[in-house]
Amino acid sequence: MAKRKYTKSQLREAGQGYVFLSPTILTLLVFLIGPIIFALFLAFTRVQLLGDTSFTFVGFDNFTRMVDDTRALIALRNTAFYVVVVVPVQTILALVLAATLNAGLKGEKFFRIIYFLPTLTSSAVLVMIFMWMYRPDGFINSILGGVGLPTYNWINDPNIALISIMIMNIWATAPFFMVIYLAALQDIPDSLYEAADLDGANAVQKFWHVTVPLLRPVTGFAVIMGIIGTFQLFDQSYMFSGGSGGPDNSTLTVVLLIYQYAFAAYDQMGYAASLAVALAIVILAATLIQRKLQKDEEVY
Amino acid sequence: MKKANWLKVLGMGSLVTVAGVLTACGDGGNDAGGDGEEEVTIRLTGWQSSPTEQRYFEETIAAFEDEYPHINVQVDTIADQYMDVLRTRLIGGEAADVFFLDAFEAPGLIQSGVLEPLDDYITDEFDIEDFQEPLIDAFRRDDQLWGLPKDTSTLALFYNEDHLEEAGYDGPPETWEELEEMAETLTEGNRYGFGVVTDLARLKFIAESGGGQIVEDNRASFSDPSVLEALQPIVDMRNEKEIAASPADVGAEWGGDMFGTERASMIIEGNWMLEFMEDTFPDVNYGVAEIPTINGEQGSMAYTVSYSMNSASEHKDEAWQLIEFLTGKEGMEIWTSSGLALPSRESVAEELDYVDDELYAPFIEAASYATVWADDTNLPIINSNFENQFSSAFLGNRSLQEALEEAERVANNEIQD
Repeated sequence: MAKRKYTKSQLREAGQGYVFLSPTILTLLVFLIGPIIFALFLAFTRVQLLGDTSFTFVGFDNFTRMVDDTRALIALRNTAFYVVVVVPVQTILALVLAATLNAGLKGEKFFRIIYFLPTLTSSAVLVMIFMWMYRPDGFINSILGGVGLPTYNWINDPNIALISIMIMNIWATAPFFMVIYLAALQDIPDSLYEAADLDGANAVQKFWHVTVPLLRPVTGFAVIMGIIGTFQLFDQSYMFSGGSGGPDNSTLTVVLLIYQYAFAAYDQMGYAASLAVALAIVILAATLIQRKLQKDEEVY
Repeated sequence: MKKANWLKVLGMGSLVTVAGVLTACGDGGNDAGGDGEEEVTIRLTGWQSSPTEQRYFEETIAAFEDEYPHINVQVDTIADQYMDVLRTRLIGGEAADVFFLDAFEAPGLIQSGVLEPLDDYITDEFDIEDFQEPLIDAFRRDDQLWGLPKDTSTLALFYNEDHLEEAGYDGPPETWEELEEMAETLTEGNRYGFGVVTDLARLKFIAESGGGQIVEDNRASFSDPSVLEALQPIVDMRNEKEIAASPADVGAEWGGDMFGTERASMIIEGNWMLEFMEDTFPDVNYGVAEIPTINGEQGSMAYTVSYSMNSASEHKDEAWQLIEFLTGKEGMEIWTSSGLALPSRESVAEELDYVDDELYAPFIEAASYATVWADDTNLPIINSNFENQFSSAFLGNRSLQEALEEAERVANNEIQD
């Protein structure tokens, strides 16, 4: 078939379309694509920004440096541990909360509001409230001590500090996914539950064999968003440790490390950019693996 | 006609975008020349930690504006992460004409060439000889002067007089051994005999008391046996003898908090504590003494901050007039009369009679033998790695040797040259 010819008016119409798109395209180029390309460029250079700005191409030096960088490895380990714990816990908690809210109990609306409140708090405020409660003589230790449980130095014990952040973050984000689950739960047709009733299924069986499988697409969404969100953990550990990632590197996350190299150290912007690129690759890989796993057990 | 519309749309579209980009890049460059008596605005960036400090600082600036009516000073306070913000502004070309610069961070900025050397501005009348030598040396590099010390602070020992009296002591400890002994007696219940702040900025003189150096050739050398030996007693006081604790151990924000709430009977802190104690804990009966001697030698830390000039400033002469006033005898006297910081000029220290004040004298004395908290360009990296690892040894998670060897390795790995 011959190459399709455009008439003059078709060309003009297409041209007009692109003209109308041009502000958006330019904005995307300047603020989205441009920075990504620039970050990639930085990742392969040694940059001096202060004073006489200079860019020296160093090839893969920034990436090979990561292998020997103890703090980068610690940051990656902390972040991975954080993701592995927080994502499943917050997803399951969200599902359970949503299921209990959907059961048609009294005061459902009231509890829905109460459960959702943590999500409305800005993370900075949240961290400050929790840091207050985590003090050695604070609210949480008073309660634990009051019922005879051991108390912890939540903020300053390197073995506990990251767990403190996990608890705080799960508490804050689970309700967000709960709302999404709640919407999905309302979409499950009653007829399926009636059919299960007729088959003699009890409540647990109905939840396990009807609700959970039908919620799988939402679960996929919650897990992927959870993975992305938790890999990017920054503000909480930044505030928690005053920007240092301490005590003893225990709250150092990859993004916090990137911040430290980029803004708190001299002339390490290139290395920071390479860490950011590496983190993007890790997140991409984790997301793809999750999607792959999800697809294999798709039910419909 | 249609074609014309087409072009118009294109033109408008790109115009909007270009205008947007231009506005984003625009800077407020609306000043003319700036010599003689023209109205000039000078921007000054610094930090203020308390309302009292703010008040004295404003007073000092007001005195300057009275003397130079054509210069307006616009003070701009950075509340948190001062160096990160300052560096970012310097890179973006948005930094103030004059800014505070901690001696600890100075070498890095000097090396990158964003500061204006001050030697050519200094006149004989300014009397530079009057400054205490170690303080001004912290801002000297490549035979040039890159800032003038606005003031100084030193460390001394704070002790709770009531606690000491109860335990039957009639005065503060004079040697480090005495301090340990007293700390043991003073520890009871949830009160510790000695409060320790685990920053390298405070521990450096102790770490180096055995003859070792924390930094050698701009690289960390924590694992020097004499450094380990000098720091071990601090760790032991917490973990073996259980007579010392850090502010975090008792839920205090900082040393002042720990001492003020009487959770520690003795603590090494700076002169900024005096004003804090008066404001927040006026009922605590305390005294100040020089830090106990280690192996018969006196030691302390001194901190200093300069006024430095941005080499990209468009009003360098006026910026200098500001620095000259603030670090001159008149300006420094107004500023340091607050007692929040000590004068870096000897003549002003004499003028203000600090030497005769029982509470201030130990700090003034310390200035003559204190180690200035400043080194070379890599001190910030070395410092943050020390802090990270030392705290793990201090908390008893691993041995001091292991922790500091790790800190040294990581720090030197991060140092790139």
